[in-house]
Amino acid sequence: MNNQMELSFLSLAENEAFARMVISAFLMQLSPTMSLISEVRTAVSEAVTNAVVHAYAGRTDGRIFLRASLDAQKVEIEVEDFGCGIADVAKAMTPFYTSQPDQERTGMGFSLMLSFMDGVHVTSAPGSGTLVKMTKLLHEEDVDAV
Amino acid sequence: MVRSRKNGDQLIVYLSGEIDHCTADKLRGEIETLLGDARIRRLVLDFENVGFMDSSGVGMIIGRYKTMRERGGSVSACGMKPTLEKLFRMAGLHRIIAQEEPGRQDEA
Repeated sequence: MNNQMELSFLSLAENEAFARMVISAFLMQLSPTMSLISEVRTAVSEAVTNAVVHAYAGRTDGRIFLRASLDAQKVEIEVEDFGCGIADVAKAMTPFYTSQPDQERTGMGFSLMLSFMDGVHVTSAPGSGTLVKMTKLLHEEDVDAV
Repeated sequence: MVRSRKNGDQLIVYLSGEIDHCTADKLRGEIETLLGDARIRRLVLDFENVGFMDSSGVGMIIGRYKTMRERGGSVSACGMKPTLEKLFRMAGLHRIIAQEEPGRQDEA
């Protein structure tokens, strides 16, 4: 099976749950295990939250794109924004680093994406936005219908 | 308002739904209001009805741990599903927040 989806939505905190619902629904065609769904939707939640909290920093008119494709071997997901961008991607991906420590942020967002997915690649430039590409490899025990 | 129950110096908070950046702020305010009662020394977070939590929820829990630590109290958790336990371990929360067995928090 090969399939693709693309969606865009505004940078509202309410859309974090919406993005999780959409990616879960898209993966249902694989008859996935709860564990697979849980890991992917956590990674998507972290990426979309970063876009809402950091890229657009309180702006509610920003546009966030969620794209996903799947085949028998893997699920690929992109979360893209056109917000402020990240000057130092390596620093932003350092576990427990946060630019907003006073907001009870943990700095674990990228760490969780890296832990729950098999590949995470971040492309970003100040002023032009951020693209997070994530890959989840599918194993026999993860799905019934690949 | 989040459902809760006081039992002496213990406050049990029954969390529910999805805890993310969108919902964590409101939850933080509600729990802090409940912790306005200075007698409370033990905060128990019941995750039985939590369907999802991400790092924003972790931040909210660490914040309440700090509140309780400042008054010499403690935070414990119960009712966690395996995915939540995994998140707890990855975040290192298991080192600062004890896990209670279901029903244990109801003991006097």
